[in-house]
Amino acid sequence: MTPLEQFLFLLKAVPVTLGISLASFALGFAIGIPIALLRIYGGSPLSLLADAYEKLFRSVPVLVVMFFMYFGLGSVIHIFKDPYVTSILSLGLVSAANQSQIFRSAIGSVGKTQMMAAISLGLTKGGAVRYVILPQAFIVAIPGLGSEIALLIKDSSYSFLIGVLELMKHASILRAATRSAVLPYIGSAIIYVALTFPFANYMDKWGSRKRRELGL
Amino acid sequence: MVARVLEGLDVWKVYGKTVAVAGVTIGINKGETKVIIGPSGSGKSTLLRCLGLLERPTKGRILFEGTDVYASKLDLSKLRAKIGFVFQDPSLFRHLTALDNVKLGLRRVLGLSEDEARRKALEALRLVRMEEWADHYPAQLSGGQQQRVGIARAIAMDPDIIIFDEPTASLDIELKWEVIEVMRDLAKRGTTMLVATHELHFAREVADEIIFMDHGKIVEVAPPEEFFKRPKTERARRFMARLLGGVTGW
Ligand SMILES: Nc1ncnc2c1ncn2[C@@H]1O[C@H](COP(=O)(O)OP(=O)(O)OP(=O)(O)O)[C@@H](O)[C@H]1O
Ligand SMILES: [Mg+2]
Repeated sequence: MTPLEQFLFLLKAVPVTLGISLASFALGFAIGIPIALLRIYGGSPLSLLADAYEKLFRSVPVLVVMFFMYFGLGSVIHIFKDPYVTSILSLGLVSAANQSQIFRSAIGSVGKTQMMAAISLGLTKGGAVRYVILPQAFIVAIPGLGSEIALLIKDSSYSFLIGVLELMKHASILRAATRSAVLPYIGSAIIYVALTFPFANYMDKWGSRKRRELGL
Repeated sequence: MVARVLEGLDVWKVYGKTVAVAGVTIGINKGETKVIIGPSGSGKSTLLRCLGLLERPTKGRILFEGTDVYASKLDLSKLRAKIGFVFQDPSLFRHLTALDNVKLGLRRVLGLSEDEARRKALEALRLVRMEEWADHYPAQLSGGQQQRVGIARAIAMDPDIIIFDEPTASLDIELKWEVIEVMRDLAKRGTTMLVATHELHFAREVADEIIFMDHGKIVEVAPPEEFFKRPKTERARRFMARLLGGVTGW
């Protein structure tokens, strides 16, 4: 294998790595927003539950969640035997806790007067959150969400350990085949940088600029 | 018969150990403009928030057009839509243009069509002389312009009363008058208004009644000529002396 062929072999893993990362990001987003809203507006039992979720999944390593699902739940429930499903679920559930925190601080920065102004127009609390609070919080959250995607792209490498054919798996196949660790790992490092950089960098830039423009 | 629009009966609001409003009774009739003045911390904002149904009083009753708001099972959101509120702090929705700020309530609360909401919103912006700024975001507007859009946002809903909580307090001197002028126009057109303000020219010109508050209570109520010429209470006299000390051309 020429170095180019080796690199192309690594590149073949990009769709899986990106797919798992973005799918778990979407799952984390879909769960993270309601958790943040429950924590802020939920009233005591729901808010405590959301808080417990956040604390739990922010303290437990992704790998623990992933192995528990795959080896633990997987032996009982069939669907967890699928390494792709399990990777997305475990990364997504952990990401939900991170994203909830990102949204909470973003919502906090929007301020109380905005809520009151929305309510005073006759919007319900739900309407105020939907039309006034979340759209602004979302802009504030963009840079944080960019870092979260970058983190997921990196953490998706854990799923190699339960057999997902992602970038780290390709790197290790390559290392075994070429008996060299240089190209496989330098090559994957370059690919990880190329994948994470646009999210972390452009979302940060875009979000920060938008915030400045709108005075958020 | 005079029509009571909004009434507070023995309203109390307590935050922890702070008694912000201590048994205030107040009523505003249709077409009236009442002005509340009083030192910082006297409970003006808290009282206005209670009357605007933005906060529930610890004790006491709020009557909107004769119905006891918290005793009835009325939908608070629906009532709030009939009470305009203009805040002291910048309160425009920062992700929306001036036009969209005014349109939001028309669309999402009153359920007007896009065209109808746009027409009404532009009309309200015209009234506050902000029509040309319709497409600007709050961050692109001066404080005075933002407050005028805030007023447009309130009047566009055709409320039965508009409550103003020191709408000029955080503005530079030269930006205050453009807001005051808009408020004066509104008062002269017969809008029912309850205004906390220290703008004495405005108060003297348009108020039907001055309400002086201190320590959460109404200390004095008087027509403006009387109040400004000779406040009856010592506390009001001292407050006015302090206020006038800082105002030129009075
Ligand atoms: N949300 C709140 N939580 C706790 N205390 C509050 C709250 N709002 C007001 N207070 C307290 O209640 C008292 C009255 O405050 P309020 O803002 O109503 O006065 P004000 O007359 O509007 O003053 P200003 O002229 O400074 O706006 C103050 O002591 C204030 O600290
Ligand atoms: Mg105040």
